[in-house]
Order: sequence, then C-alpha cells, then structure tokens
Amino acid sequence: MKKVTVEELSARDKVLRHARAIGVSMKESVYPLTATVYYPRERKKMPPNLRGYILFEPEKCISCWQCAFICPANAIQMKEAPNKRYYPAVDYGKCIFCHFCIDSCSGGALYSTKIHDVAYRDMDEMLTLTEYMIEQPEILREDKKSVEYIIDKDDLHLKRIREQDTLFVEPTPPVEIPMVSQCIDRASCIGCRVCEEVCAHGAITSRQEGNVLRMSIDTDKCTGCGLCVKECTMQILRLVRR
Amino acid sequence: MMQEMISGMINALMNTIMSNQLHIPALEPIIDLLSQLPVGGFMISLLLWKPFFAALISPGFATVGILLLFFPWIERKLCGRIQWRVGPNEIVWWLGGIIQLLADSIRFMFQELIVHRDAHRPYYLQFPFLTFIPTLLPLLFIPAGSIVAIRTPYAIQIILALVCLFPLFILGLGWASNSRFAFIGTVREAFMYFAYEIAFIVAVLAMIILYGTSDLVEINNTSTWGILLNPVAAIVFFIGAAMATSRLPFEIAEADQELAAGPHVEYSGIGFGLIYVLCYEKAYVLAGLMTVLFLGGGSGPAIPGIGELSGLIWFLVKTIIVMTTLFVLRVIYPRYRLDQGLSIGWSSLLSLALVAVVISLGVLIIGGGAL
Repeated sequence: MKKVTVEELSARDKVLRHARAIGVSMKESVYPLTATVYYPRERKKMPPNLRGYILFEPEKCISCWQCAFICPANAIQMKEAPNKRYYPAVDYGKCIFCHFCIDSCSGGALYSTKIHDVAYRDMDEMLTLTEYMIEQPEILREDKKSVEYIIDKDDLHLKRIREQDTLFVEPTPPVEIPMVSQCIDRASCIGCRVCEEVCAHGAITSRQEGNVLRMSIDTDKCTGCGLCVKECTMQILRLVRR
Repeated sequence: MMQEMISGMINALMNTIMSNQLHIPALEPIIDLLSQLPVGGFMISLLLWKPFFAALISPGFATVGILLLFFPWIERKLCGRIQWRVGPNEIVWWLGGIIQLLADSIRFMFQELIVHRDAHRPYYLQFPFLTFIPTLLPLLFIPAGSIVAIRTPYAIQIILALVCLFPLFILGLGWASNSRFAFIGTVREAFMYFAYEIAFIVAVLAMIILYGTSDLVEINNTSTWGILLNPVAAIVFFIGAAMATSRLPFEIAEADQELAAGPHVEYSGIGFGLIYVLCYEKAYVLAGLMTVLFLGGGSGPAIPGIGELSGLIWFLVKTIIVMTTLFVLRVIYPRYRLDQGLSIGWSSLLSLALVAVVISLGVLIIGGGAL
C-alpha cells in the first residue's frame, strides 16, 4: 500500500518557497494576467471548428435519416416537409452538441456555426423546426471587440482585436467516401421494388424474366446515398466501399 | 455668583482646548478667518483640539468609516488581480466598482433582519452592536504622530485587553444564534483564541521590554524602527494579527466551505453588515498597533506645510500597507485546518515569541540598558 506523506523540506527550502509565493503575488498585483472576457461587451474569439448552433441546407439533404439515427441524445426529429421529404429538426433541450449528425451527414447539409449563446422563451420553443434552421438566426450583438487567448510557455495572454468576430463559418464540403449499394442476400429479396422507386439516380432497375423479377444495381450510376439501404423492407441492402 | 461659575468653567474649558491645538500651517489663514465668526471659532478650535480630532476624525472614527467603505473594495480588487480575476466591476465601472461597499451597505440597511425562533432574542440583537465596544475603544489609545486621544503609560496593555475581549463577543454572537453551525464556529473561535493569544501577547511583551515603556507616544518617538531591532517579534505579531482577524489563511472559525459563516451564519440585514465590517475594524486596530510598535508609527520625513498632520499621514500610509499585506495573505496561502492552526499557535509561534523576548533582552544588554 502506498502511503501519501508530506514532503520533508529543509528550513531553507521552506523560506525559499514562501519567498517565491509572495514574489508571484507581488508580480501579479502589479502586472496581472487577468483572464476575464467582458462577455456582452466583447466576445472570445472562437475557433472555426467550434461545435455550436446547427444550420441546415435543404438542397443538399437526401433525407437519409442518418443524423436522426446517430444522435446519441435522440434530439433530432424528422419532420415531413410539404414536398413529402423528411428533414431534421433539432431539439436543443436534448442536444449535447456532439455534432455526430454533422459528421454523419453524407451530403453536407448540416453545418455548424460559432453561435453558442442562444436563448429560448420556453421548452417547446427549443425544438427548432427545419424552417428556422435554414436561415441564419438573428443575433443581438453588443460586442465591439473580440478577444483571443494566446498561450505561450506557461502563461496565458489575452489579445484584444478591435473587430467583431464572424459567427458564421463556411461549411466545409463533406469528405466523400465513395460508397456503393450492394445486395448481401439475394435469396431473401421479395421484389417489392421499393428500392427502384426510391432511387433518385435510376441506378436500380428491375426486369421480368418469366416468373422471376430480377433486380440489378448499376454501380456506375449509384452515388452511394444509401436511400435504398434505408428503405429496403428485407434489410438486405448495404453500403460498401467501392 | 452662578454666572461667574459658568463663565469660569467655560474659560477653563477654552484654556484646555486652546492649549492643545493641532497646528496646521497651510490652513492657518482659513482657520483665522473662521475663528472670527462667533460660534465658528469655538467649533473650529474644538475640532482642532488634539484629543477630539484624534478620537472623532483621525485616526479615530471618521477614518475608520472611510476605510471601512473602501477597504473591502481594495481587498477584493487586489485579490482579484492576483488571481487573474477582475473583482467588483459593474457598479460605476469606469472607476472599477469603487462604491461597491456603499451599494452593499444600502442593501444591508433595507434588508429585513430576521430573528429566528430559536435565537436568544435580546442577546442576538445586542451583540453585533456591543462588539463595536472592543473594536472602537482601542482607537483612543493609538497615536498617529503626536495626535492621540488619551495618552497613558498603560496604552499597550489597554489595547491588548480590549483586543483580547473581542473573541468573547464573537462567542456571544454564536451562542445567541443557537444554531449548530454557529456553535461549531464559536467553539473553533474559542480554540483559535487560545492558539494565537499567548504568542501574540508574549511578542508585544518583547517589544515592551525592548522599549522599556508601554506609552505608545513615547514608542512613536523612538528613532529606530522596532522591526529592525526585533524582526522575530514582528513576524509573530503579524501572524498573530492574521489569526486574530480570522481572515483566509486562518479563516477557521468562519470557514465558508464548511460552516457557511460560522458564528455569523444566522445574521441577515444590518446585523450581518455590522459583523462583516468588524474584522476590518479589528485589522485596522491591530495594523495601527503594529505600525506604532514595529514601523515607527508616524515617524517619517516631514511633509512641508501641514505640520503635525505629516505624522498622521505617515501613520495612515503605513497602516494601510500593513492592512493590505494582512489581507493579501488570503491569496498567497491555502487555508489551515483547526488542528494545524492550533499546532502552529502552540508550537512554532509560541517558541518564536519566546525567542523574540530573548532577542529583546539581548539587544538591551548589548545596547547598554536603554535605547
């Protein structure tokens, strides 16, 4: 068993340590390294990869539901839009800002901003509907300066810049991993042709051969969006790397 | 007959007052002008009567009031700077929140003073006010230069007696509160009282031996600073003062983390406000005593034009520096536990105090009997 003991110090060491402590406090009282940011009047400059408020571009969304599936807090609800597509709506009462949804979005429709201070009137309002995620939100800004934290060696300095920090970040295009849809269990196919209907690129076709319906996937046309994988009633389609 | 008696008494009073006037060369023309007014002259001479000036204006009551208004702010601001914070800032932000305590005291004034059901009501209400007796009375005996309210050869003894009376009132506060946190805090206060008091008194005793007198005015006029003659006594006195004011390194009785506020936990409103400033008052008294005993009191290069006020200004500057040092300890050192505080008080502090007495005797023997 390890016993925690007090370090034995000589009298000289003790005096030196006292002197050092007093010296540090005297130095700080004259030239303090105050780390306070006067928040409403100035903002801390956030890095561009900050996990903040989530915005949405419906044109890039393929309604694959991956964001809703991957959300560990179950914060994303898919709501039906007038065009019969399903789009995500984020419940910020549940969201833990892990941004798995943004990482999982195959089309790059969800993207982050630097906004981290949002206020709501009640709990119901925290479920942000899709139409409010498309437009950039209105922000009341009182800040005139932005503050940057600079860490050199073991000290922290604040650098004040006389300009507002931009809170919106250009969405980075998603890293495209070439995927292709593949049937893993041909014998189980019931020929419901849901995959053919759902495919937006015409990659899945079917042809009648006597009594048998033969489905085929054109790997050249397939973009690997995964809609057929989601819709397949027998769950025998998978996305695999090309 | 009666008229003669009264006029005789007034003349005697005026002679007493006029014989001990504060002399300020720079303000002489204004004082002469005001003296020609019928009542103003009397008022001015009463105001400039040294004991009156010392007791009511400086280093007495008015100075304490002003220091109480600003010292918590100075302390919080300085500790904030050292800890990379800002401190009070929002009230009058262009002056750095300087009137924070004024705002706080207005709030304390108008807040309800709640007397809970279990409290011993009369004592509970009396003690915050009674505690001002031992904290304000020592100011009468502390000289600032040549300005002193009561000059007596037993000044140090009287101040020590009053300062040592202080924990008794804190015990009273805790007992009257009749709550378990207050009880624990009270018992801790009593323990700490025994821890520092003996070493503290022995350190002062060393200085009395060194100076050969306990008249503070006489000590004030000594040429050499006490801290150079007996630095060990100065250290013991300083640590004793830090324990006596129960500020952070020795904040054992109040212990915000464990006991909320110890003996004061039940107080609200003006009661809390009074207790909040008590420790600053005590710190002022002890810092004043330390200034006179160890730092030469009001001695210093004379500031031209203000005569005897020069001593007062030196005294105040030194006292404020000592007070600031006393309060900055809270950001330098971590908190002591009760047992650590007791062991410091009874072992190292007491032995250092005895060493200080030996040093004083040694200085006297080498110096040939008297300073």
